[in-house]
Amino acid sequence: MSERVIGVGDKGSAKREKKGLLTEIRVLDLSDEKGSFCSKLLADMGAYVIKVEKPGGNSSRMIGPFWGGSPHPERSLSFFYNNTNKFGITLNLECDAGRELLAQLISKTDVVVESFPPGYLDTLGLGFDALSEINPRLIMASITGFGQTGPRKDFKSCDLVASAFGGQIAISGSPSLPPIKPFGEQSYFAASLFAAVGILLALQGRARNGKSEHIDISLQEAAISTLDHVMIRYFHEHVITKRQGNRHWNDFFSILPCKDGFIHLTPFQYWETLVEWLDSEGMARDLHEEKWRDEGYRIEHADHVIEVLQEWTMTHTAHELFELGQLMRFPWAPIHSPEEVLASPQLKSRGFFVHCEGPEVPSMLKYPGLPYTFGTLFSSPCKPAPLIGEDNANVYQRELGLQDEDLASLSSAGVI
Amino acid sequence: MDRDILYGIRIVDFTRVLAGPYATRILGDFGAEIIKVQSKKGASGAEDNSEASFTTWNRNKLSITLDMSYPEAREFALKLTAISDVIIENFSPRVMSNWGLSYEELREVREDVIMVSMSGMGQTGPWKDFVAFGPTIQSLGGITFLTSYDKGSPIGLGYSYVDTIAGLYCAFAVLAALEYRDKTGLGQFIDLSEYEAACTLIGPALLDLTVNQREITPQGNKSYYIPAAPYGCYQCLGDDRWCVIAVFNEVEWNNLRDVMGDPPWAREDKFSTMSNRKMHESELDGYIEKWTIKHTAEEIVQRLQEAHVSSGVVQDAEDLANDPHLLARDFFGEIKHPLLGTIKTDTCPITLKDSGKGPWKASPLLGEDNYYVYGELLGLSEDTIRSCMSKGIIA
Repeated sequence: MSERVIGVGDKGSAKREKKGLLTEIRVLDLSDEKGSFCSKLLADMGAYVIKVEKPGGNSSRMIGPFWGGSPHPERSLSFFYNNTNKFGITLNLECDAGRELLAQLISKTDVVVESFPPGYLDTLGLGFDALSEINPRLIMASITGFGQTGPRKDFKSCDLVASAFGGQIAISGSPSLPPIKPFGEQSYFAASLFAAVGILLALQGRARNGKSEHIDISLQEAAISTLDHVMIRYFHEHVITKRQGNRHWNDFFSILPCKDGFIHLTPFQYWETLVEWLDSEGMARDLHEEKWRDEGYRIEHADHVIEVLQEWTMTHTAHELFELGQLMRFPWAPIHSPEEVLASPQLKSRGFFVHCEGPEVPSMLKYPGLPYTFGTLFSSPCKPAPLIGEDNANVYQRELGLQDEDLASLSSAGVI
Repeated sequence: MDRDILYGIRIVDFTRVLAGPYATRILGDFGAEIIKVQSKKGASGAEDNSEASFTTWNRNKLSITLDMSYPEAREFALKLTAISDVIIENFSPRVMSNWGLSYEELREVREDVIMVSMSGMGQTGPWKDFVAFGPTIQSLGGITFLTSYDKGSPIGLGYSYVDTIAGLYCAFAVLAALEYRDKTGLGQFIDLSEYEAACTLIGPALLDLTVNQREITPQGNKSYYIPAAPYGCYQCLGDDRWCVIAVFNEVEWNNLRDVMGDPPWAREDKFSTMSNRKMHESELDGYIEKWTIKHTAEEIVQRLQEAHVSSGVVQDAEDLANDPHLLARDFFGEIKHPLLGTIKTDTCPITLKDSGKGPWKASPLLGEDNYYVYGELLGLSEDTIRSCMSKGIIA
């Protein structure tokens, strides 16, 4: 396998070809939607990632939204997003010939990412113990709803279930309405990030001790790990955080309506500057009175403060408040819709969005890129997600040395 | 042991509050030596060493004090850089270079140094100096807008989710840079934007918008990407108790119907297929909730899971602390703290086979490791350290 050169995104000024940081790492991605983002993180940094799908394609190809609107396995935008920079092969793991081919690939692999129910790969003879016997330096990351052990390990999960059991839902939403799940598949993103960090940790460990490693990631635990103040307040103050609409748990932030949208602001910070600002527009009402200088009093009478502020925010656009507020160091921000995210001058100026060039991808498609740049080197998502079995010939012939006729017979036997 | 993995990697940590400290906490959990640079002036609020949140985000770290407003402080920072692998900071852009600690300057004393600057907006661009916190970054990044019941009343997440996410991206970038350095001998400057980290979390929605050009509005708990009905959050018996149920196919629907006792309404035509159920979703949700409200969330979830239907208890902090599954997996741990006694905390969700988590050291007191770092590592005499302390440089 020759070194793969990637990275012709529009990040930075010049269109230069650059290599990623993980160029020599070889990954087999057996996962569905729970783990695709993990191997994407590795692939976007230059790792050589082969996505192994069952013949006909991975089930995650039927997750929307779809290009054009109708479900189609080659048009899933979730799949597009979560599988950039990967190569794709098909392989039936449930037959002997398929398992034999996987074993051959495993011996040339550093990392396996999988998200099958615990024990499933063992029943195929492809569990961690069996695979690490084939390749004693193998690192395997398993991403499942509840992890590989414990009384709930066989429970069915999805993002909704992980988010509920993981404590994210209980603390989001209005008190008068049902609790609300974070938008998008957040437990998958969080779990994939933890898994990717775990994989790089295991690679560091392997460089020292030469040993294999199995990483066990639970969607539930990944979700809990993002909860910021929630467990701290419980363990230290016995406070059970409840959902309280758009008011931040410590009352530090509120969302108020403007002329044309909404502004996320701090009603209590830099008080004197804030009151001066309102006063200069004749909108401060009684807030310049001495008693409001006391922070405790303000928090106690928060409803009044918010009411006066809201009368004022309604006379401005969100953008005005954002830009003017930032000039005075107020940490405020407008509530942006996806359209406004795409139009952000900050993201544009940093070249955050990248194009993937490929015949099967609509040319106007813009992908969120990497949230970091590397001074001398970086990789940007630029190769579109693979089509079903797109790299079968390449991988099976070049890597495993199969001939044309082998491929044809494996294909007709339903192995690939 | 987990703590052998990064043994010998030294990280100088200038970060504060949550996103940065979360990144270095992960690296510290796995054995990197994290030297947290603090100052008496700055050690308040979330950076007060005796605060609960400080103890949570700063376990396994060392603390030194260094007041960067003194010109002599720069010398110490550079000496420390010379013997360190990674420098991480999350100040506003400008701050490190004002101190004479830009990447170029650090490289002069340590050629292969890896430096991460993580800030709200990144080091470049028209908004680079904008002040931002987790909640406002979530608003800019679109996830607040999308996590709402409707577009007329934005709600958002009840916590600073993106701080943890940015911390994870930071740890990932550092490890990737170490991997690269091990192979090539080259260091790296990494410019991490928390705003961009937030935007990666709504990727499919942004692709949807660019390619299909349709307005994307908040959907509450409705399933946006996958056809599923019923799907959502349902009230159960008890005080503000809830469960979630997700039905993705007809087998699961039949199983749910059985668990509910095969009520006549569920046999009606309008609920007979996924598309029919989607079409009559609010009526369906009403029926489901009439059933769930009569049972505890735990009972419903147990019964549905036995019937292979995805469902979960909407757990609050107390539920999590007592969750038998989490307890069986030792997800929460205890650390003895010299001031606060035994404190409970979440461990790291990266579980390695055959490798126990810990042993863990409590978060440091302010300047607890001054003598070790300035004396043993940098070779300063005790007298010099004392005199720097009294001058306010090491303070």
